[in-house]
Amino acid sequence: MTAERETTVIARTVTRVVVPIILVVALALLFRGHNLPGGGFIAGVLTCTAFALVYIIYGSESLRTLVGASAGGDGVLAGLPGAYARLFAVGLAIAAGGGVAAMVLGYPFLSQTVLYLSDVPAVGAVTKLPGIGTLELASAFVFDAGVYLVVVGGLLTIISVVGSE
Amino acid sequence: MQPSPAALVAALALPFLGAVAAPAVHRLLGERTAYFAAAVAAVTFALLAGQYGAALAADPTASGISYQWIPALGVSLTLYLDGLSLLVGFLASGVGVLIFTYSGGYMHGEPGQAKYYATLLAFMGSMLGVALAADLVALFVFWELTSVTSFVLIGHYQRTDSGRYAARKSMLITVSGGLFMLVGFLVLAFVAGQAPELARTLTLVGTPDSLIANAEAVRSALEARGLFLPVIALVFVGAATKSAQVPFHIWLPNAMEAPTPVSAFLHSATMVKAGVYLVGRTRPLLLPEVAVPEWMLLVATLGLVSMAITAILAVGATDIKELLAYSTASHLGLIIAGYGLATEYGAETGAFHILNHAVFKATLFMVAGIIAHEAGTRYIPDLGGLRSELPITAGITAVAALGMAGVPPFNGFYSKELLFEATYEIAAHEGGLFWLYPAIAVFGSVFTFLYSIRFLMLFFGEKPDGLHAHRPPWPMLAPPLLLTGVAAYVGLGGLAGTFGYKVPVVGEFVAAVTNASALHALETFGYYVPTTLSPYFAMSLLTIALGALAYPFYDRIHAGVRRARAVSVTSPNWYYDAAISGANRLSPIVAETVHNGVFRRYAYTALAAVCALALGGYAATGATVPGFDGFAVSLPLAVVLLTAVLGAVAVVRAPSHIAGVLTLSILGFMIAIFFVLSDAPDLALTQLLIETLVLVLFLLVLDKLPSWYGDLKRREAVADAALSATVGVTVFVTVLLSTGATPPDPIWEGLAERAPVPSEHGVWILDAGGGNNIVNVILVDFRAFDTLGEISVVAMAAISVLVMVGMRARSEDVGTTEEPGPDAAESTPEGGETA
Repeated sequence: MTAERETTVIARTVTRVVVPIILVVALALLFRGHNLPGGGFIAGVLTCTAFALVYIIYGSESLRTLVGASAGGDGVLAGLPGAYARLFAVGLAIAAGGGVAAMVLGYPFLSQTVLYLSDVPAVGAVTKLPGIGTLELASAFVFDAGVYLVVVGGLLTIISVVGSE
Repeated sequence: MQPSPAALVAALALPFLGAVAAPAVHRLLGERTAYFAAAVAAVTFALLAGQYGAALAADPTASGISYQWIPALGVSLTLYLDGLSLLVGFLASGVGVLIFTYSGGYMHGEPGQAKYYATLLAFMGSMLGVALAADLVALFVFWELTSVTSFVLIGHYQRTDSGRYAARKSMLITVSGGLFMLVGFLVLAFVAGQAPELARTLTLVGTPDSLIANAEAVRSALEARGLFLPVIALVFVGAATKSAQVPFHIWLPNAMEAPTPVSAFLHSATMVKAGVYLVGRTRPLLLPEVAVPEWMLLVATLGLVSMAITAILAVGATDIKELLAYSTASHLGLIIAGYGLATEYGAETGAFHILNHAVFKATLFMVAGIIAHEAGTRYIPDLGGLRSELPITAGITAVAALGMAGVPPFNGFYSKELLFEATYEIAAHEGGLFWLYPAIAVFGSVFTFLYSIRFLMLFFGEKPDGLHAHRPPWPMLAPPLLLTGVAAYVGLGGLAGTFGYKVPVVGEFVAAVTNASALHALETFGYYVPTTLSPYFAMSLLTIALGALAYPFYDRIHAGVRRARAVSVTSPNWYYDAAISGANRLSPIVAETVHNGVFRRYAYTALAAVCALALGGYAATGATVPGFDGFAVSLPLAVVLLTAVLGAVAVVRAPSHIAGVLTLSILGFMIAIFFVLSDAPDLALTQLLIETLVLVLFLLVLDKLPSWYGDLKRREAVADAALSATVGVTVFVTVLLSTGATPPDPIWEGLAERAPVPSEHGVWILDAGGGNNIVNVILVDFRAFDTLGEISVVAMAAISVLVMVGMRARSEDVGTTEEPGPDAAESTPEGGETA
């Protein structure tokens, strides 16, 4: 949006309060995705809406300060798009790298496994405490995190490039 | 007996490794790369020669060596070495050694040598692959590799128009022929695989369940389906395009644009032999033991016709390489005709003439290279009397050209005699029209005799003024000399045979080559100069007599052939050129029609094509829409859907972009609520978020667009409405059909079973998803590969946006902003204002 158009105090105040909540909810969606509605894709899109909100209300300059991207750089990759592009590149590498790790261990590409912590003796004792429940570690989370990063990086790249036009 | 697997694999891999190394070697050795390549070829030759004994004792049901390649599709890399493949392997590697040596002299000072040697080595490897591969898919791959490398070599002088024309012509003809062959192979393998007593296999020969080992059953399976003749025809098209048979012979004379060593190697001794090899290889599979098989009617007839027509065309040639090119097509016709004839002499003709032709024709090509190099011209009328200045070359030419003419006791005589014998036998047995076979064979051979003598006469007679030839360097002289030695040896073997002696190697080797294509194994093969007047010896003598009578009128015949050649309607070249120029005119028209820069046109072509394909697919498969059995919609659902419909109507009525996008999002959010009501929380969440984000994106873009709609013509509005309705109907029908067509055992049951933590499990759960959210477990575990593809698409979309914007910024820097088209304001977001 053009810089001259002033945003209202209400919008700015609400954004300040809402954006952290959105980000926390997004992370919650990401982490609980294996057992409850959520997952890397949804969490990624939700994160993007938070960034879009900051962008619309406060403008791209403050978003750059928030993200910590440098102002310099070459051509289209200067500033924010460069940071976002690195994000989806890293995400893609994590997702594919996890798959290759399975191959190194002798399983087909992208095989996933689950470590059932409740059955591990040392940790198992903790899960017996009230309010904890079963614990498991899914290797699929690595892949899901990759999906999250790609979605966040990819969508934000598009938004920032289109928005800066 | 099985050959050594290590030797075969090494022989196949070595040329390719050499090709990879060639650029680096060229950097080190410069023009002496020729001798490096010759050494590679020599080692390959030695590796194959070491398997001579195993190849002679090859058993088509057992001697193959199989390696897995694509086991899921039944594709293997099966290597099989028998007489025929050994002969082709010898030609590729043995003639290869000579050609590389010869190139060391011929290519002196020529550009692009690293590319030349690398491609030539890769070609040699591909040709060995064609000879050794016993699997249909592997054979096809190597077959097309020879076409590709030939394309590069013909186009060696890539800056010349004629070089490009020739390279493209050979590529189009041989590769499309190869595709016919592939279809033939697939029909062959799959139809044969449906027969109850046969396992589906793509292996041609060498294993107990290979096609040739079960030839009888394969033939009856094909005949039961009426596909026997089509398979023969499809495979033969592949062979005929590769071996330059009429009417596909037109690429071969143009291919003479290549440097002469390439012509000698690819276009006389090896690549064009691939088609012949295929005919010889599939002969025992596709030739049933009946009196007049379809195979003979098709293959022998076309082979003989090709032989005659291209021999006549060779007489019309004015360039020595053109003469040799037509002559090559003619001799390949002879070989194919031999394989086509359903007698034992037929297989002998093919086998023996492959050897003889490769020896004398590669020699003559190298002689042509010497003449072009040392006398500076290839134009026949300008040449003559070269004997005094090139005495050794003249001697070489005499042996090779008389062999080509079929004069006893030179080597080509014996194999041509076998063809006469085979055609005579068929004619005597079947009578009637089959007498045309020996007649055409003699007729074509007369012209062969004529042009062979004409080639020889380049060295005799009067020397034109101003013609001077230098002595060629030894690297160019030694290879043809060596090949002539082989030709003379084969010829002397015939003379010795007349007196009851047998020269070593030739007889047993030709017998082994024959056995690869013969229906009944041949114990031994003997040949000799006849001493009694048999009908076929009379045919040979008649050929020579007619040729000698006609030779004084050579110039008149030559002129007549050239006049006949100029008639466009009967010339395949005319059809080829017309088709190519027609296609060249058509493609810009298609491109401009489909890709005209107007957004409306893109939307129309893409959407209409999708609808047509989808609806056409449903109609073709006879899909039926499930019956309608009443509404079962709750009140909240009805309200949501009604709101969605109202939103859709409002979109159409909206006065501006902003209003349109906002009302469109009503539709989107209603769908999200619909998902909530249908117990699909994941979908609802996704839909909600995507809808929000899309709305934001739209608003960002719309800020740059004019806030009003352009004036819409009535005609366009009607067309838009029709297209929208079609898309709507397509989607509606698709949803109905896909939800109605639930299979009896749906896959979701299996997924739902395997997704959660199983009741009994160890610390590590490998065979279950271990999560309660099936949707996510499917996304990140069971179908993670699909998801990887999807996130790659997201990344790619982002990259394309970056690249497009970046490139536009660059073009603005240069100051070449595009003129906005007439519809730019309504079609592109950047129209007018921002540029």
